[in-house]
Amino acid sequence: MATIVKSYEPTFWDRLYLPALAKGLAVTLKHFFRKKITIQYPDEKYVPPDGYRGLHRLNKYPDGKIRCVACEMCSAACPADCIHIIPGPSPWEDGKERFPVRFDIDLLRCIFCGFCEMACPEEAIELTEIYDFSNYTRDDLLIDKEGLLGVYELTKDTNYYSRPNAGQDSEALTSDKF
Amino acid sequence: MPIVKIDDTDFTVEKGTSVLQAALANDIEIPHYCYHPALEIVGSCRMCLVKVEGMPKLQVSCNTFVGDVPSDKKIDGKYDMVVSTQDELVQQEQKNMLEFLLLNHPLDCPVCDQAGECDLQDYAFKYGNAHSRFEEDKRVRPNEYLGSQIVINHNRCILCSRCVRFTREISGSSELFVEARGYNSKISVLEEKPLDNLLAGNVADICPVGALLSTDYIHKNRIWNLDKQPSICQDCSVGCNVDVFHQKDQILRLTPRENHSVNKFFMCDKGRYGFHRFEEIERLTVPMIMSEGGFIETTWDEAIEKTVDELNGAGKGIAGIASPFHTNEANFMLGRLVNGNVGTLPPITSEEINYPSGFRISGDRSPNRHGMNDVCPSIVDDFASAVERKDIRFLYLLDDGIDRELNELWKGMLEKIDFVVVQSYAMTDVSKCADIVLPGQAPFEREGTITNDMGRVQWLRPSVTTKGESRPDWEIPMLIQSKHAGVEGLTDVSSVMNEMGKDFAAYSDITFFRLGDQGLPLNGKAEE
Repeated sequence: MATIVKSYEPTFWDRLYLPALAKGLAVTLKHFFRKKITIQYPDEKYVPPDGYRGLHRLNKYPDGKIRCVACEMCSAACPADCIHIIPGPSPWEDGKERFPVRFDIDLLRCIFCGFCEMACPEEAIELTEIYDFSNYTRDDLLIDKEGLLGVYELTKDTNYYSRPNAGQDSEALTSDKF
Repeated sequence: MPIVKIDDTDFTVEKGTSVLQAALANDIEIPHYCYHPALEIVGSCRMCLVKVEGMPKLQVSCNTFVGDVPSDKKIDGKYDMVVSTQDELVQQEQKNMLEFLLLNHPLDCPVCDQAGECDLQDYAFKYGNAHSRFEEDKRVRPNEYLGSQIVINHNRCILCSRCVRFTREISGSSELFVEARGYNSKISVLEEKPLDNLLAGNVADICPVGALLSTDYIHKNRIWNLDKQPSICQDCSVGCNVDVFHQKDQILRLTPRENHSVNKFFMCDKGRYGFHRFEEIERLTVPMIMSEGGFIETTWDEAIEKTVDELNGAGKGIAGIASPFHTNEANFMLGRLVNGNVGTLPPITSEEINYPSGFRISGDRSPNRHGMNDVCPSIVDDFASAVERKDIRFLYLLDDGIDRELNELWKGMLEKIDFVVVQSYAMTDVSKCADIVLPGQAPFEREGTITNDMGRVQWLRPSVTTKGESRPDWEIPMLIQSKHAGVEGLTDVSSVMNEMGKDFAAYSDITFFRLGDQGLPLNGKAEE
């Protein structure tokens, strides 16, 4: 059944626009006295909330070995299909037998959903809180293994996986208790 | 014929069929590890236990056979056997068996190459418990090389003994055995007799878990990344059915595909690792014309123009060299181009090997000699004297590929001929003798039919895309022929097969649809 919708006919007061003007200015005036939310980036840095998902990093063990075993769980879980891994035998005699020969992430495709760190059985890939990694070329936004390990070197003081007791459970993670 | 009831469904089966076979043939899944259709039954994994009415304990379905019961003793007056695979007791048993198998299993699926096609992984997920009650330390053993191509990861092994039975029954070489007993048992080889026979690669395929690994594929990729293309092995005239696993136009491994008329379940290592030969070749992707000083690149139009000119000039002095490495379609189109005036190069042979199980590695290294002889009936083996006698001035040569070595006699003969066209995929010995080289397809790029030495026509499917400007093997002689004769060309490989069927009665009802995955025998009557 069709319904007839009558359009609103503005009254004389409405067409003066003075009450609306006053209303708008009142809002502006209210914000004059509120706390400012603008920050002076880049002099002042925005601190994201806990759990923010930013640039990826590839973690290392305390002895410098790469945690990643190139199992490709992250690339299988990735809904944007942005992780490309080429596995190979690990260069270290002791420890894990697999190792990523190449580990590339296409940051342009990535949607920062965090599925990769959820899928990772070795806690190797992790999303940091770095958000300002824009660039001038597309090529520079393809980050490779060295780049990801570089991000780890920058942020290694923070353990985003277990914030409350960062670094304390690394013993449990390093022991190969399969 | 006995009637067996499996989970409320009746099946009429042959007498002497095992319950597992009857179930698998009718798409009822019973989990199993040690049972393999090609191998002797041992019933050691205890995974396929089912409940059989009238028997006090659960029975291993692989080793329980359906027989004829006297009519007065039939269950419900009708059934010879009543089996339940979904009974509560069976399900509990499956859970318990998996818990046992997983006691010492490392659960390192993320680094295991079997993950994704692993029976233990699949069954544990489907039938197993989520938790293990085992709290002690797992048994840890280092990896060992069993042969030059096979590594064993003892931790993952579930001792189903499929590999042991394989070396005893199929390859007949008995390298593998189970060493020690109980907790200490493990698959082992003698130091002086490593697993180095030509069928060794199969043990990695039949291993239901990731214990036996081929060094060729280890840590290369994950199975779910690969595309699987059913195709035919092109390394000897047996024509084993294979699955080609490839990713991004790169072949990573070949595994045998079941075909009871050809290779049963297995393939040899020559074919399995043979694809590596083609990885490093310098692929020819544009037509090349010989001029003073060497080959220069040219376009397809010019190359075909030039070939047709020479073909017209040669009059009756034209001949072709067919290749047993090419498909029937390519050889057929070549025969058409040169009016059936076809010869062939000497065969590439090696030692023929026969295994006690009936598996055969042919001495003829070319995949399609039977088919080539079929579609080029007037083939001349002694081509050298034919060249002298008939005054050949134009020769169209289908190149065998990188395996072909040309002797001085042939080189001298090709020198003598005025114009030699070579259709090849690389700068081989043969291509270097050419006046014009037309880029065709490499193995694994080809599509068409090949006929194995037992006269079975099989569908050779392309696994990787054709590189550069190369054209299908049948298309190049077709283009030249249609331009030369001024007739309309054929459009696709199926129409070539159609034409071929008109000329050769044996191939008259061959179509891709009829060939399917299993192929057809040449007499046209399907065996099955």
